Amino acid sequence: MVDGKSSAGEGGSLAHNPPAVSVRGLWKVYGPNPLSIVGSPDAKLSRSELRAKTGCTAAVSDVSFDVAPGEVFVVMGLSGSGKSTLIRCLTRLVEPTAGEIFLDGEDISKATPERLRELRRQHFSMVFQHFGLLPHRKVIDNIAYPLEINGMKKAERHARANEVIELVGLHGYAHAFPEQLSGGMQQRVGLARALAVDPQVLFLDEPFSALDPLIRRDMQQEIIRLHRELGKTMVFITHDLSEAVKVGDRIAIMRDGAVVQIGTPEELVANPLDDYVANFVRDIAKSHVLTLKYLARPAMPGDEIDGPEPSQARMSCA
Amino acid sequence: MRHFKKSHLLIGVGLVWVALSRIFQGEHTLELATADNTAFTTSVGDVAASIRGNRTKSSAFIYFFNPIRAAINGFVEIIRSIISVPSGNSIIPVIGWFGVVAIVALAVYATSKLRTALLVVSLLMACGALGMWQFTMDTLAMTIASVLLSLLFGIPLGIWAGLSDRVLKILTPFLDLAQILPTLVYLAPLALFFLIGTASATIATMVYSIPIAIRITAHAIRNLNQSPIEAALSMGSTPKQTLTKVQLPMAKQMIILGINQTVMAALSFVVIAALIGAPGLGKPVVDALIIRNVGQGFVAGFAVVFVAILLDRSTSAAAKAQEGFIPMTPHQIRGRRIKRAIAGLAAIAAIFASRSVLSLAVWPGSINIAQQVEDVTNHVTKWVTTNLYIFTVGFKDFISNWVLNPIETLLAFSPWFVTMSAIVLIAAVIGGIRVAMLATGLLALIVLSGLWHEAMITLTQTIVATLLTMSIGIALGIWVGRSVRAERIVRPFLDAGQTLPAFVYLIPMLGLFGPTRFTAIATGIVYSIPVVVKIVSEGIRAVPVAMIEAATVAGSTIRQIITKVQLPAAKKAILLATNQGMIFVLAVVVIGGFVGSGGLGYLVILGGSKPDLQGKGLVAGFAILLLGVTIDRIAQASARRT
Ligand SMILES: Nc1ncnc2c1ncn2[C@@H]1O[C@H](COP(=O)(O)OP(=O)(O)OP(=O)(O)O)[C@@H](O)[C@H]1O
Ligand SMILES: [Mg+2]
Repeated sequence: MVDGKSSAGEGGSLAHNPPAVSVRGLWKVYGPNPLSIVGSPDAKLSRSELRAKTGCTAAVSDVSFDVAPGEVFVVMGLSGSGKSTLIRCLTRLVEPTAGEIFLDGEDISKATPERLRELRRQHFSMVFQHFGLLPHRKVIDNIAYPLEINGMKKAERHARANEVIELVGLHGYAHAFPEQLSGGMQQRVGLARALAVDPQVLFLDEPFSALDPLIRRDMQQEIIRLHRELGKTMVFITHDLSEAVKVGDRIAIMRDGAVVQIGTPEELVANPLDDYVANFVRDIAKSHVLTLKYLARPAMPGDEIDGPEPSQARMSCA
Repeated sequence: MRHFKKSHLLIGVGLVWVALSRIFQGEHTLELATADNTAFTTSVGDVAASIRGNRTKSSAFIYFFNPIRAAINGFVEIIRSIISVPSGNSIIPVIGWFGVVAIVALAVYATSKLRTALLVVSLLMACGALGMWQFTMDTLAMTIASVLLSLLFGIPLGIWAGLSDRVLKILTPFLDLAQILPTLVYLAPLALFFLIGTASATIATMVYSIPIAIRITAHAIRNLNQSPIEAALSMGSTPKQTLTKVQLPMAKQMIILGINQTVMAALSFVVIAALIGAPGLGKPVVDALIIRNVGQGFVAGFAVVFVAILLDRSTSAAAKAQEGFIPMTPHQIRGRRIKRAIAGLAAIAAIFASRSVLSLAVWPGSINIAQQVEDVTNHVTKWVTTNLYIFTVGFKDFISNWVLNPIETLLAFSPWFVTMSAIVLIAAVIGGIRVAMLATGLLALIVLSGLWHEAMITLTQTIVATLLTMSIGIALGIWVGRSVRAERIVRPFLDAGQTLPAFVYLIPMLGLFGPTRFTAIATGIVYSIPVVVKIVSEGIRAVPVAMIEAATVAGSTIRQIITKVQLPAAKKAILLATNQGMIFVLAVVVIGGFVGSGGLGYLVILGGSKPDLQGKGLVAGFAILLLGVTIDRIAQASARRT
């Protein structure tokens, strides 16, 4: 996976800015004596072998990547590949077993509980697959919740909440309760709540998976629009390849807790590191990503210079 | 294969047991005449006497027990003086009967429907008409006081146990013990430290109802949808903010449901706590049972039932009012405000009236139908016992001769070591070596206590009642589990059965079967059938539909589906129901000591009234506890092992 990282993606104009999120050697192991797994040869075993041998599950194993300011960084992978655990480690909803996480250069894996709360209140926020709205609060009070726990006065926080309500297109629903809204609307509330504190970084864990396809498309447009308007850095988890391609600048592909490859959609299609990645990106319509611009660009390190490999040949017939 | 062997082993143990019992019939039974003490029970009696003698001297009493007693007494008296007893230098309580009826009715009306309010009014007035107003108010006051105190401790502890695994782990053994502890057991020890009276009764009630409040609150907190909580944490909520702004509001409805159950538990206990001086409806019930006046018992029993329905309806109405988070429209809100304002004003007017008009303050003696009710019930009882003699006495004799007596001979009239070995062996076969060792220890303690014979009498009644309960309960449970219509018919009875205090079931059973062993058994059956039916029917209903469909497609008859699919699949539920049924039965069988069932329960009750048998009564209470734990462990092991 280490070469997976170097083979792709860190190039381009993004490399000049210091990263907004930077992850180094991150591990999360569930089970007895988790630290003993980190970096040991056992970690190379498959999930089931590791489980049988040690009783542990390496939900995230040795993950490293950087996200540039303003970038939408997508994480993909099969169910159980560790995406949710990864994003929860980044916000420390789950305590990492080992590794470092830098947000704007600050190592949050070492932050005290107080500092962590401060970061959560001001620096980043999260959107959840199942929305996580408070059922006993109106839309406006759900959105104002992060401001409220920050000690903001009622009038002030309601004013701010109303701004975000407009921003996400929930006009007229301020006084509804979550269970009176459709799934798509509920997720707009989740999004508005995450935006209320004007965070620098947004973490989204399969935000649209619970929505039906039409609403999902709307919401994807919404994210793209918000990203364009507000320029937030985002770490975006999804199952859905077309969604990843639509919203993401770069995509990281995970398998069994490890990141297999990171790259732009074009790079992943053109240069899949192995069959797993190739299988993953097979369905991307060629026309969609393989633009002439990409095909005609100067060679990058790791590119094959002498014609297509068998795996790519296979892909082109798919 | 293993199973096959197991049942053979059990049959083997049984045969040897019966054979040995025949040979050594009546030897080494450890029988002890009721009025006799052993050295051990005498010394326990002496210790109890010295504790009582130290009440004014020992610092444990001066600085701990006595202040608690005084505080609780004071608290209960305040509530009583509001609705029940003359307050201060007045001759009437702060609020007279009319005021109480109005407040209860309007409070229910404000949170619920008019119909419920009307029901509540009629129930309260009926209690008055039965000549039970004062007792009813005392019961209400005791219940309210115990519930408030229980919630004061139970809800915070429950929240804590809901948030912390460690706390839950520490509390769980106590909660489990409280669940298998027969109510009769802790009355006497508490009375020893807090004297006979309202304080002991309140504390005993709290011991009984706090675990329920803790359990339900912890359950409510633990079973919340976790995603809003995770979201709240991700936004930087402190633990306190998460608790007060997210977890508690979400758990509110469930916690209020827990209040309903706490209230019902407290009520059923307050009635029994009459034995240690709780004022209220328990007193006339006990009095009637002692003089075996069924009609008089019915009068008080009706009042208990009415209060139970009243409390259940009004608290569950309050819980329903919390349902869902959907707000009301402004129109509805205005309607509710007006409703509440009117109710409030009317209540104030009623209180005022009940303080200034004597006939509205004190229940008018001219409205009293107690005598008529007593006569009618006595009459009906007489008619039933003379005309349906064949059914009542016939059934009783049949069970006594063919089930009760043989089992009693086997358990209580074999040499103690034969019975004990047999039980230990059964425990070993069912539950393995550890359960067998535990049973050995517990039973040895019973032998040492000197009350082995009485314990075996109680065990006999428990086993017989459980056998009957299970055969009726499983049949009903299958019916209810298989048919939605049956469930709709039976449900209200199951709910009612669980809210009524065990004590009131004794009254009609006494009428039907007279003061005999069988009365206690019949009461135990009636009392525990609802819980058995509930658990069994839920087990039957939980059997996957696919399993039944597969069996149906394979051409099974209904009978085959029941016996070959549903019952085996619901086996765990049936074993659980047996366990619960036994614990319920045991609790009631010992109360049956009142109506001539003998055994340990009778000794406990006797110990309360005869000073020289007090030690024996305390030991008997402890023996009940040992018996309960033995039964519970063996039954649980058998449920675990399948
Ligand atoms: N609390 C936990 N204890 C033990 N194992 C866990 C725990 N949480 C997650 N896991 C394991 O870690 C692995 C990764 O889980 P995770 O939820 O991160 O996957 P995911 O990629 O988000 O899957 P999905 O797409 O289904 O959401 C899984 O094998 C899971 O069983
Ligand atoms: Mg996930």
